[in-house]
Amino acid sequence: MVATVAQCVLLPVLGIVIGLFFLGLYRKIMARLHWRYGPPLIQPVIDILRLFFQGGMSHGAVFDFGLVLSLAGAMAIILFIPFAQWCPLQGSGGMLVILYLMLLMPLGTALSGGEAANPNASIGISRKLILALGYEVPLLLILLSVMSYYSTISIVDIVRGQQASVWALFSWPLALPGIAYILILPAVLGVRPFDTTTAPQEISSGPLVEYGGKYLAFEHIIHALSLFLGISLFVNLFLGGAANPIVFFVKILVVFVACVCINAVFPRLRIEQAVSYLWKWPTAIAFLGLVVVSLVK
Amino acid sequence: MDRNKIGKWLKQPAKMANKYSLNAVYFCTGCGIIEIPPVITARWDAERFGIIPVATPRQGNLFMITGYVSLKTLRAIIRTYEQMPDPKYTVGFGSCPINGGMYWDSYNTIKHLDRYIPVDGWIAGCMPRPEAVFIGVTHLWTLIEKDMANGYLRYREHYDQYRGNQEKLLGKLDWPPLYATGIAQKEIAA
Amino acid sequence: MQIILLTSFGGAFATYLLAKISSRLRDVCAVIVSGLLVVFVALLYNKTPAATLIPSFVGAPLTVRLNMLSWFFAIAIVVVGFLSIVFSFSYIKGKERADFYYLMMLLVNAGMIGIVLSADLLTFYIFWEIMSWGAFLLISYNRGPALRAGMKYIVMSVIGSVVMLAGILSLYAVYETFVFSELAGRIASASPAYSLACASMLCIAFAIKNAVVPLHTWLPDAHSEAPAPFSAVLSGILIKMGTYGLILVLYLFVGVKLFISPTYVWRGFRFVLLVLASITILVPSFIAVMQNDAKKVLAWSSIAQAGYIILGITFGTTLGFAAGMFHFLNHATFKALLFFGIGAVEYRTKTRDLNSLGGLLKRMPITFIAVLVGTCGLIGIPLTNGFVSKWLLYKTLILEGSPFLAFIALIGTWGTILYGYKLLHHVFLGQLPEKYKNVRKAPASMQFVLIILSLAVVVLGILPGIPLKLINTIAVSMGMDSMNINIFGIASETGALNTVNILSVLAAAGIVVWIILKASKKSTRISQEDNYAAGAAIPAERYSYTVDFYNPLYRMIRRYLRDIFDEFYYWIAGRVQAFSDMVRRLYVGDVGCYAMYILLFLSALILSQVWWRVW
Repeated sequence: MVATVAQCVLLPVLGIVIGLFFLGLYRKIMARLHWRYGPPLIQPVIDILRLFFQGGMSHGAVFDFGLVLSLAGAMAIILFIPFAQWCPLQGSGGMLVILYLMLLMPLGTALSGGEAANPNASIGISRKLILALGYEVPLLLILLSVMSYYSTISIVDIVRGQQASVWALFSWPLALPGIAYILILPAVLGVRPFDTTTAPQEISSGPLVEYGGKYLAFEHIIHALSLFLGISLFVNLFLGGAANPIVFFVKILVVFVACVCINAVFPRLRIEQAVSYLWKWPTAIAFLGLVVVSLVK
Repeated sequence: MDRNKIGKWLKQPAKMANKYSLNAVYFCTGCGIIEIPPVITARWDAERFGIIPVATPRQGNLFMITGYVSLKTLRAIIRTYEQMPDPKYTVGFGSCPINGGMYWDSYNTIKHLDRYIPVDGWIAGCMPRPEAVFIGVTHLWTLIEKDMANGYLRYREHYDQYRGNQEKLLGKLDWPPLYATGIAQKEIAA
Repeated sequence: MQIILLTSFGGAFATYLLAKISSRLRDVCAVIVSGLLVVFVALLYNKTPAATLIPSFVGAPLTVRLNMLSWFFAIAIVVVGFLSIVFSFSYIKGKERADFYYLMMLLVNAGMIGIVLSADLLTFYIFWEIMSWGAFLLISYNRGPALRAGMKYIVMSVIGSVVMLAGILSLYAVYETFVFSELAGRIASASPAYSLACASMLCIAFAIKNAVVPLHTWLPDAHSEAPAPFSAVLSGILIKMGTYGLILVLYLFVGVKLFISPTYVWRGFRFVLLVLASITILVPSFIAVMQNDAKKVLAWSSIAQAGYIILGITFGTTLGFAAGMFHFLNHATFKALLFFGIGAVEYRTKTRDLNSLGGLLKRMPITFIAVLVGTCGLIGIPLTNGFVSKWLLYKTLILEGSPFLAFIALIGTWGTILYGYKLLHHVFLGQLPEKYKNVRKAPASMQFVLIILSLAVVVLGILPGIPLKLINTIAVSMGMDSMNINIFGIASETGALNTVNILSVLAAAGIVVWIILKASKKSTRISQEDNYAAGAAIPAERYSYTVDFYNPLYRMIRRYLRDIFDEFYYWIAGRVQAFSDMVRRLYVGDVGCYAMYILLFLSALILSQVWWRVW
């Protein structure tokens, strides 16, 4: 009981720390790929600190509430996704709860951004929801094939199943959904080339247009958490999770760095291009994967 | 640069964070902006000092006016400045915002930007090279360090005067005052 | 039980009579009647009375009975009925024919109670017709386009009734009984072809009422044109009478064991139903995204949500049945809530056009919270009741090896997110237009209804064990396996659900974040005019983005989402009309002409006799 509560408190903190580290790493790697020196790794922390000292402007109660909902949802999901052997809330609904709790992040931001009454924010939200629909089609096929292959909706059981035999990415037929997941991973994380939602040059950073001060700091933390969540979900589902935290950290780090290195060279896609990409090859591969899995079962 | 001195971070975190996270709103009014792309891209890489461009005034704390200021852009400059959250720092870039520059006798160009919004520092030149921007930034750091980059406080304190100057030049403004007028005087009197 | 029927029918007419005396008395009487019904039905919890209404009606007795299944439906009916009457107070005040409106509302309510109470097919059919015709009169209450919507509804409804009547009579001709319990055992032993024919005839009638996809076309018009309180009743429970009928057919007459058995016939039948249910989820969800009328969005969403219910029920496992039943209850709460919420907005602003509304959050906060809760329930955000029923459905679909159905249901949920957010954003968020600056908040009676239903959505979402226990009893009484229910969800080996964990985690995280937000440096509150527009002043009324909200998506999917069935029915209707028109041309109204017809006919007779010697 004490251990569970301790995990419940520590895991979100750990998630935020790792997420912020990822943000810093992201900027550093991008800089190095541009042949720049780049900011220090703790630059996101400095930014967030500065933003907290800036206060900011609020557009009303829903503006605050949406952000709180978004961040609270992000922090809650961490407890449902195993971090190595720690998964304090494994018996509370499994994958389906994760799927639905993941809605809270975009929905909270959408409520808050909508209340800001700025057309840039509305366009950004519209793009975000369309993009989410775009990657959700292959993602659901992938998750369903994994869940039907292991005949469980519990993510802990899926990890256990892989640790008993071989990582799902390297096993037949789960390699197919694994490949599809790799193809859509940048869209799930919302990084290049799928950052149309918060494109600063086109729509003044979209839903974030009216965020300043601590509100923007919260948004940075949510972004950091979403990076962490997306990658740990992938590692748990296809790279066999991990038996101890250090291995797990190394795994998510490797996936993240690979993802950033590949995607840093792509320019930003338009929303239609993004969706038609997501609905073409990743969906076809994921669909094939689900068909094969249902035949094998 | 004292970014890595942990003792200073613990002693005055707000000041240090403000120094090393200057998110800039570049107000591109004229030719000066042509010098900014080299500043933020690979050649000079301002990001290593934590300076990145942001898309909206809400997110930034450094306001750079890069070029001449006509009457029409002055409205937008004032509006943008008022939408930034405190603390915020303004830097005039190039000789045009300082004294009108080559537009010194234009009927339509502002000669003294700091009459209408407070300016914390100037970067002289026509146009200043990217190195000058970095010198300007280090100066700004010193000013922040010594609590001398306090333009946003001056604006609050003398809001009546600034607003008066603005209205004298632009006529009736179509947005409400940022601070309740009259309060500043009372505070000063007290 | 007779008291319930007497109260409901008597109350309806008493209200109409009292209305002739004073309108105040009418309102009081309507509330008392519907309130009494709630009390009566609640009192009958866990009792199983049975009675005969009329010993012999055209040769067969009209009987009623109550069991857990009908109690479950009855309580939903009376509660939503009561709330809709309360909501009607301000909504209908000052409109013409209000007396008639109340009479019909109570009569439709009574008809629905009769349907779930009836113990034989004849009684069922009588109440079914009362409900259908009452609904017709209410749908066309607003006149104008509503008349057309009502006509569409009643034509399809009558076709359904005729098919159902044929099925009932055929059953009677073979088994000589109308009583459910007597029919139940016998159909299972009949030849598969015959029982399949009967089941499909009844199912068609119920599918029309439930708006399953090829038979759904009446619903979008009817829902959007009906008065708001009746839309809530219509969407929340009236179309679910079709669900009740389906449960009767599939689980009682056919029997769930036979229905999900791998027999060739029943497998095909079940497969067809499942495919129809998934189409019903998928396509209407995305058609709803493209609507610009608030109530049309909700109407299409009703079709899609009914699809979830049908999917759960036709899937036939205990969890699937529980999901369907629970989703019925949830849909009754959150869809009624949404219709009431939009009704309140319509009442204050006199428009349902999403593109012209906006920013009403600042004027109608309670309505906003209610619609937010309703939308969360619709999407299935954890801690609202919609989540639990969808969780059950997905779980059983995945674990029983139907991932494709689960996929369609989940994608339908994404459609729900798109239109749910669109509804919230266009009506309540964004810039408040100048013309709605003086809109007042909803009247107290409306707010009461909204608050009650919002509470129901949240409470059922946190304590899903309460209704699930009931549903478990029903499932066991129908010969299905029992589920392992506790008050906060479900315990099982293949994945448990525990809402209290989710609640505590979310609440704790929310409180921590809120404290950090409030404890850090104070933010300044700014007005909607102080907004980023690249330094320009905000144009009044024109600085919000609503028209064509999901434009890139529309461009991609629009051409695939035509309502071809509606066009097909209109084509048939057009053909029939043209044919009738042709026939009508024969009757010119001229006596000489008729005399010539007679002469021609006679000469034809004579000629045929001369040539072929027919007689």
